[in-house]
Amino acid sequence: MKITNIQKVTELGRGLKALVLISFLALAPSYFSQGEGLFKAKCATCHAVFKNGTGPKLYEARQRWDDAGEGDLIYEWVRNNGALRASGKSQRANEIFQEYKGSVMSIFADLTDDQITSIFDWVDAQDPNAQAAGAGVQASAANGVEMEEDKGLPWLWIILGVMFIIIIMAVGGVRRQLKIATKESEEGQEGLTYVEEFKTWAWKYRLYVGLVSLVVVLSLLVGFFQTLYGVNLMEEYQPSQPIAFPHDVHAGVNGIDCKYCHNSVTKSKSAGLPTVNVCMNCHKKINGEGKEYQGEINKIYAAAGWDPTKGPSGEYTNEISPIVWNKVHNLPDHVYFNHSQHVVVGGLDCKQCHGDMAKLKETAKVQPRAALNKIQENIDSKIEFDRATLTMGWCIQCHEQSGISITDGKNNYYTEIHDRLKKNDYDLLNAYNEDGRVSVKELGGWECSKCHY
Amino acid sequence: MDGNVQNVIIKTNLLLKEYGMASKNKYWKGMDELQETQSFQASKSVEFPEQNNLESILADDELNEASTGRRDFLKFLGFSVAAATVAACEAPVIKAVPYVMKPENVIPGMPTWYASTYYDGSSYASILVKTREARPIFIKGNKDFGITNGSVTPQVIASVLGLYDSERLQSPLKSGKATKWSTLDKEVKSSLKTAKNVVLISNTVISPSVLSSIDSMAASIDGDFDHIQYDPISYSAIRRANELNYGKSMIASYDFSKAKTIVSVGADFLSTWLMPTEFASQYGETRNPDAAWMSKHFQFESVMSVTGSNADYRAMTKPSEEEAVLNYILSKLNGTSSPLTKALKTTADLAITALKSSGKESLVVCGSNNTGLQQLVNEINNKLDVNGTTIDLYNELNLFKSEDGKMLDLVDAMSKGKAPDVVLVYNSNPVYSLPNGLEFAKGLKAVKTTVSMNAHADETGVLCKYAAPVHHALESWMDFRPKTKHYALAQPMITPIHNTASVIESFLVWSGTTLRPGKSSTVAYDKVKETFSELSSGDFDLAVHNSCTDIAPSTIEETLVFNNAAISKTPGFNKGLEIVAYQKTAIRSGEFSNNPWLHELPDPITKATWDNYITMNPVEMSKAGYATTFDQENGLSMASITSNGIKYKLPVYPSPGQALGTVGVALGYGRGGNGEKIGKAAYQTKEYGGHVTDAKGNPKPIGENAFKLLTAVSRELSYANSAKITKVEGEYIIAATQIHHTVMGRHSIVRETTKGIYDAKGKESYNPAHTLQTLDADANHVEKPVGEFDLWDAHPVENIGHRWGMTIDLSSCIGCSNCLVACQSENNVPVVGKDEVRRGREMHWLRIDRYFASDQEAAVGTRKDKDTFSYSEAEIAALNPKVVHMPMMCQHCNHAPCETVCPVAATTHSNEGLNQMTYNRCIGTRYCANNCPYKVRRFNWFNYPAYKKFTEINPAQDDLGRMVLNPDVTVRTRGVMEKCSFCVQRIQSTKLEAKKDGVPVADGKFATACSDVCPTNAIVVGDWNDIESKVRKSSEDKRSYQALEEVGVKPNVWYKVKVRNEENDLLAKLQVEKKAHH
Repeated sequence: MKITNIQKVTELGRGLKALVLISFLALAPSYFSQGEGLFKAKCATCHAVFKNGTGPKLYEARQRWDDAGEGDLIYEWVRNNGALRASGKSQRANEIFQEYKGSVMSIFADLTDDQITSIFDWVDAQDPNAQAAGAGVQASAANGVEMEEDKGLPWLWIILGVMFIIIIMAVGGVRRQLKIATKESEEGQEGLTYVEEFKTWAWKYRLYVGLVSLVVVLSLLVGFFQTLYGVNLMEEYQPSQPIAFPHDVHAGVNGIDCKYCHNSVTKSKSAGLPTVNVCMNCHKKINGEGKEYQGEINKIYAAAGWDPTKGPSGEYTNEISPIVWNKVHNLPDHVYFNHSQHVVVGGLDCKQCHGDMAKLKETAKVQPRAALNKIQENIDSKIEFDRATLTMGWCIQCHEQSGISITDGKNNYYTEIHDRLKKNDYDLLNAYNEDGRVSVKELGGWECSKCHY
Repeated sequence: MDGNVQNVIIKTNLLLKEYGMASKNKYWKGMDELQETQSFQASKSVEFPEQNNLESILADDELNEASTGRRDFLKFLGFSVAAATVAACEAPVIKAVPYVMKPENVIPGMPTWYASTYYDGSSYASILVKTREARPIFIKGNKDFGITNGSVTPQVIASVLGLYDSERLQSPLKSGKATKWSTLDKEVKSSLKTAKNVVLISNTVISPSVLSSIDSMAASIDGDFDHIQYDPISYSAIRRANELNYGKSMIASYDFSKAKTIVSVGADFLSTWLMPTEFASQYGETRNPDAAWMSKHFQFESVMSVTGSNADYRAMTKPSEEEAVLNYILSKLNGTSSPLTKALKTTADLAITALKSSGKESLVVCGSNNTGLQQLVNEINNKLDVNGTTIDLYNELNLFKSEDGKMLDLVDAMSKGKAPDVVLVYNSNPVYSLPNGLEFAKGLKAVKTTVSMNAHADETGVLCKYAAPVHHALESWMDFRPKTKHYALAQPMITPIHNTASVIESFLVWSGTTLRPGKSSTVAYDKVKETFSELSSGDFDLAVHNSCTDIAPSTIEETLVFNNAAISKTPGFNKGLEIVAYQKTAIRSGEFSNNPWLHELPDPITKATWDNYITMNPVEMSKAGYATTFDQENGLSMASITSNGIKYKLPVYPSPGQALGTVGVALGYGRGGNGEKIGKAAYQTKEYGGHVTDAKGNPKPIGENAFKLLTAVSRELSYANSAKITKVEGEYIIAATQIHHTVMGRHSIVRETTKGIYDAKGKESYNPAHTLQTLDADANHVEKPVGEFDLWDAHPVENIGHRWGMTIDLSSCIGCSNCLVACQSENNVPVVGKDEVRRGREMHWLRIDRYFASDQEAAVGTRKDKDTFSYSEAEIAALNPKVVHMPMMCQHCNHAPCETVCPVAATTHSNEGLNQMTYNRCIGTRYCANNCPYKVRRFNWFNYPAYKKFTEINPAQDDLGRMVLNPDVTVRTRGVMEKCSFCVQRIQSTKLEAKKDGVPVADGKFATACSDVCPTNAIVVGDWNDIESKVRKSSEDKRSYQALEEVGVKPNVWYKVKVRNEENDLLAKLQVEKKAHH
């Protein structure tokens, strides 16, 4: 289905907005992005910016250490908190440890003072008010996406068709009455039935009737096949889940890296659902604010066999029961898909296929192609999907549009492939390079047994 | 049902099971089934849901009366298409269940390999087990560690299916009813306490830990205790002969890799005799015609065996003539003389010449279980002075300690009413495998307490009061001492599926030294670890990782010196017919008669599946009026065979090379005929599913039990006997995958030469290129290689990217059939059963063509005389033919004929030289199969994983059995074509690993399932475009050719000319060097 012009204009507008945002980001000091990266890689699994979690919130943490008169010690704390506590130098170190009921912070001995400063600089530069506003914008964007789905299109055609037929009938009826009236007056003959008259009429204009019928039949056939193409599409598929898991809170607000929970994504064909023990890394401490959240988090406790009321700070009861999720991204069984191939070798970011989960408030769903086309990485790589997400057309379109750098020498596998091409069929290599890149398709990405076996 | 969904469901089941969600031992596919709703009950027996069923609409009487039937048909067709479309709109909800606590070494979607050891009482191998989400799915040999050099047998590969056998005992039983371990233990312990005498019958136990726990149990018993080790296939004669000749009852280590001359008298050492897992790879090393020397192999045998089919010289020898052959060889070596028939003398003389020239680099073996014959072998080997080269007396084999005499004495005592108070049976089935098993069964009834520790309620098990089933080998800790200087370990790959127990634990519990801790038991682990620390000072974890370790013998070796001893009594035969009870490559002695993969494995020689028959030489058959040919409609004649007072009615199978005056019957069949539950696949099935039953309603076993035809000679179980055979009325249809015997002199399929020709002459003589005539620039007629003529443009696979290729060396291929089973296991190849195989619808992606030479050929594939060559005579195999085994699978032609005829482009060519098969595109026209010159494409005629016809035999129809499926390979549905994919799933994963590591694909990283398990490395695979790769070099070897090269399909598979180390003057005359060949 094509995107209408109006939608293109709105998209252009949105694209402009994004452009402004990017240029702003590009102007920001580089260690800002270093701080952000480090925060997400090292801190975000336990610390949030504005909210206490497994560890305390980091927003203005420096200030709090300064207030306690131990501003310099925060660097030592970050690098090796155990050593700092043991040294007895710091009062605050032991206070925090007590406050968080003895949950031990990991050791980050390799962080330099500059790096730690960059993390705190970035954290403190975040705007506590922007968070809520940003979420609002995202929600409206998500609604917009849904509206773009022109599901009414076939109905429009049907209504138009029905109206057209009614008009023809009406006109024909009037004409017939007139005809009967004239004939009766001329010959006094009984009027022909509708069918007989239609037959005579059709025979008289057989060329036009024939042509029109051909067009109608062909359009119906085309319409039929187009409808079949739309059957069983997984776009927007959003099954209910046993736990209302909000991706925006975890990946968005808390900035947890996707790979922290889906940790086999770099190793295996399956990205892996987080095992309950991974949830418990954080949720042992975080039990949610408000009844609604607590109810959901209690489901994790039930699965993990964790009783937060037992003992000083909760205990495992060993009565575990796995969480039965409903799979969101279902590929047909005859398709082999490997996450690690795409993430490690292809260097794709999760959002290029799954959309920006950091902004998804509801439970996980299959993002429509329109949403994917707005992902910056896809725009940068000139990938634009016009086939529905999770269809074969969608896969191979990307395989055609995305290139592999085989000459940069970074991956010796491709260097070898390049050498063989260079040595044995330079013309073919030139043909590959005609459009300025070697696409996945050209290296076999469109071959059946790439994915089907 | 297909791979991935299955995977999730299986995962769910496993996890639920692991975490105790499913309280009953039951597997369910959906909530419907779990709750057993009414609609589910109604629908589960129906293959297709009733809705939208066109037939039911058309069957409506009113419609039949309607005058416009055709138009209504179209209307309903339109309706059902629309209905199907609408029905398909609803996306199924698929569950995904992650672990609660993920084991550290499990990555969902990635295989984990474990090193372990396989021992079933007769086969021993160091293995690697592939597990996915903690379920074992594939077994191959361990090439890095252990004494078996990566060799396995079809049983070892197929044993993974046994793990998921739903007929395995699932809990302890008391009088056939499930009971608790605590109850069983209490009662067994109390009967052991009060017993005056206790007997434990087991097969040979080579586990030091099990032996030590048996000792603990023995120590705790007040009465007498006796442990009888009894194997269905006994080698006790070798031990007894060595006791007489060397003063020590032992079996030495043999090294075939050092033997320049091998003489085997009835020993099928490549497939069934002693340690084929050791011998096959050793033998393979000596079969390379390019090496410094090539072994010369003489075989004297009656039934054509896998070993015999590989021999350079094979002489048809009756069991009664074995003694004469050995005597003749011995006397000639001693310079004296001994009588021998003329026919055998020719071969024996050649063997003696070869033995004399190779001296101590020779090896003579004999398959007979008779001390006298084994003494003769000892004398010959001693005369040749082979001890120290091909025989190592100081590294004894600990397997096969069968005490036939003791076992027979026990049966005698029992039938005289002197039964012991308690009989324990562990991994032994004497009721089935003893010639007088029925007497044993009768005696067993008089025993107060009987306990079976067998995994199934088998023939012996059902007669026992208690069943204390042991774990499957893949579920338990175990250790082995296969040889004096070697110690091996087996580790569990999966939590025990059923409520079974480790045998170590059971013995220790009954000895009162430990308690039963249940599923998380570490008793066996602790015991094995303790044994390890006693035997070795090494690191236990390292030993587990490697699965084995070498150990120094604890005692100082005594020197073994050969002493002449009077030759013991040799077996006597009545005049007339002799019967040889042989082991089939697949079924062996019957432990695996419930394994559908092995039943469907075509016998390497007869190519028959799913059956037991009498083998007879076709020459004798035509004389006696038996049918010598058969096909899917016409069966074979029946005969009644009598031996040892037992009469069986079996079909007679034409087997060229069978010694005249002898017939063969395979052991291991006829199991479970009295309603024992040994596995659904062990019985005959009806045409539309269900078992064939006897008058009592018990399922009828396949074949007859040949053990009962045998007797013991001087208290040694003998595997040959005198017999009488008469033709009886009746016809019996056999399902064989190959019913033609010869290659009809077609040189372009099989090429064979002799070592002499190969060494002396050039490639043109034994491996000429196919040429065509053409005109050169000056309009002269010239001959050019076929490869230069092309209808199509060359497919761009050469030198660019990868080009996956394979070479198969016909010289090294011994026809062991490992590749076939491994392919079935790796690629989810369905089992189709006898009736479908009969119709030529077997699904094996890889077949092994066995070609016999005819009298019209100088060697397989070479016409003796072009002018007098007769096709009708070339169809008939020679009396004692030479044999070639030729593995045949998709040749991945670069100009594939199948690709050009596919109307929907379901089979296409990849840039890596693969002929790709896309199942979801295939509409099943079968044009491709018709156009394939190699006939390697297979069509899914049925929905094998669901249709009732295959319920009994296809493991994929069993909720537990289908756990063996490889989740990386689609389970194909009805109506699509399939064929060898070159294990494309492995290619893709090898490439992915290389890409992830950022390195080129290293040669040897990619192996297909078939090349992975080849004991002789006959199959070499790799990237042909890598000019340094093994496969490239092998394909450019002077012995390399392509099958049917003249049709110009340009395969990516090369075969290598078979070189036989024989003198063949006729062939030498024919294979002269010439410039060109048409």
